[in-house]
Amino acid sequence: MMFNILATMIQTPSGLPQQVYADNATIWRHMSDALHQSLYRVLSLLIAVLPGILAFFVALGVFTLIGMAISAVLRWGLSLINFDNRLVRYRATGDWTPATSPTAIVARVSFWGCVLLGLMIGVSAFDASYATAATLPISLLPYLTHAVGAIFLLIAGTLIARFLARSVLIGAVNAQLQYARFLSLGVKWLVLVLTAAMILDHLEIGGVVVSLAFGILFGGIVLTLSLAVGLGSRDLVSRSLENRVERASEHSAEVPPATRSETGETIRHF
Amino acid sequence: MATSQTMTDSNAPSAQSEGALLVMLPPLEQAAFEAILANLRTALPAQDLVISAPEGISADAYPGFRFATTTPTKTSWTLTAADFVNAHQAATKNQARAVLMLGPESQSLDTSGLRDLANAVLAAPADLAIPCYELPPQAGLVNSSILYPLNRALFATRVHFPLAIDLGLSLRMAERLAAAGQRLLSANQSDAPVWPVSEATVAGMTIDEVKVGTRALPHPADPDLNSVLPFVTGSLFSDIEAKAAFWQRARVTPPAPRTTPTAHSQPPDASAEVASLVQGFHLAYSNLQEIWRLVLPPNSLLALKRLSFVDAPTFRMPEALWVRIVFDFLVAYRLRTLNRGHLLGALIPLYLAWVASHINIISSGANPDRHIEALATAFEADKPYLVARWRWPDRFNP
Repeated sequence: MMFNILATMIQTPSGLPQQVYADNATIWRHMSDALHQSLYRVLSLLIAVLPGILAFFVALGVFTLIGMAISAVLRWGLSLINFDNRLVRYRATGDWTPATSPTAIVARVSFWGCVLLGLMIGVSAFDASYATAATLPISLLPYLTHAVGAIFLLIAGTLIARFLARSVLIGAVNAQLQYARFLSLGVKWLVLVLTAAMILDHLEIGGVVVSLAFGILFGGIVLTLSLAVGLGSRDLVSRSLENRVERASEHSAEVPPATRSETGETIRHF
Repeated sequence: MATSQTMTDSNAPSAQSEGALLVMLPPLEQAAFEAILANLRTALPAQDLVISAPEGISADAYPGFRFATTTPTKTSWTLTAADFVNAHQAATKNQARAVLMLGPESQSLDTSGLRDLANAVLAAPADLAIPCYELPPQAGLVNSSILYPLNRALFATRVHFPLAIDLGLSLRMAERLAAAGQRLLSANQSDAPVWPVSEATVAGMTIDEVKVGTRALPHPADPDLNSVLPFVTGSLFSDIEAKAAFWQRARVTPPAPRTTPTAHSQPPDASAEVASLVQGFHLAYSNLQEIWRLVLPPNSLLALKRLSFVDAPTFRMPEALWVRIVFDFLVAYRLRTLNRGHLLGALIPLYLAWVASHINIISSGANPDRHIEALATAFEADKPYLVARWRWPDRFNP
């Protein structure tokens, strides 16, 4: 019924009833053919790509299992040779001190390395089957591959933001800055905004709008901070800086150690 | 494995030295160098000494002394890994019987102190002679709050200055410390301190603590506590971590020698500093809770919360709380609960809170030595907690 009405609307108004009926049938046949062909092409594509998808999941699963096995073997082996203690004895007080034990790091790196390898092989297999089967340009694959990079960017950005926020917070508290938390939050959100902009850029979402928006936002934050420091918090900042300079000059004053206690220094930590 | 410890009086007679004593001196100004040589000449027979001094010293200007040149090291406020490696090399080269290492500003050491340090390794059968300095009541606070009590609790030793900058070493002790220093050098950490007391204890060597009286202690090159405290505590925590298999076994600290407590003069008024320290603690409490929560159990956090309401004049941190804080930070350092730089940075406000409390206590008339001894005893008493948390860190810990 709907098709009849549609055909009637499309046809010229001067047409005869018999001709309308004949034309309706032709349109229906054409649409039906078009739908069938479209369905056939999509199904053919799916059937052709299906082995690739299966290969992707199989590769990912197999390499995840291999990674788990290698990780377990490494953990066992390194614990057996007392790797952590040997490394501590060798490195003593290292500048770079990770948050987990060296054995755990080696095991995790090997596991995630295998997962990454499986991911790459899976995507490659999917890509190969997709390239041979695809007759229509579907922009799914680029997004899939870019999504992996975006996830890594997100993880790295979050970790860096947390690390920098904590560094700033502890440093500011030890410098006795009253606005330590504000500084820490500011650094954290700057890094997170930067990460979000990089992810969107990587995924090619938004195009120039993202870069432009990020530039405006970042510039705005910097301008706001400059104005806040220059106008609003001028007294606060100058007092903080004066305190710091006074403390530094007190520490670095070249007073003979034997007479320090007599000259007003009452506490010595070392 | 037994480690004997004695406290030597400064009136002991000079020993008859059969071999040479290598004296390691840091880079010094001319006046300081001459003052040390004069003290050494008074304290010990000059013909038994080999002075290891930096290049540029004319031997003819100081008759009676033998000189040996050593590789110059960077001047540091404490003895470093490079110093111990150099000392052992020089001792081997000059066939010395023992080594006397003197730190910066050692010209302030009196002759009896120098003599006792040397005699402890020449005449007495000690492998490590370590000085006990007489400091003002408000000096050496990192040593009093962390280094001494931790070393005493874990390594069962009553050495008061584990990071002393003047040492007497037997040859085998020098060799042991050089090996420890070499490991640090190979890790490109020539400035890192070596912990001689724990090395000697683990190796089963004899330690002798010598009272040397007063001494001018050098200041760290970087006056900022925020960088020096993490550096020293990080080094100590790493050393403790490396020797965990040793100190987890139960040991009894040798009894304290019967000495009369030193009478200190009334400490100078530090109420302004205390107020500033307590204010810093309040600021840290309102900002660092999320980090402290990762390290400290709820009981300690509750105690800190109570402390955050206390004003500066009545500010007192209970010994048990400080002990738990240090132990929990040590465990967190081992477990790498968070980045070690962050962890040690988060310890600074708590240490400063302890300093405020300590100053308040000694300002009220208490003997500072007694307070520090009480703290060390609290560390010893709570050692089972550390061992338990070290072995089973995931166990429920209220």
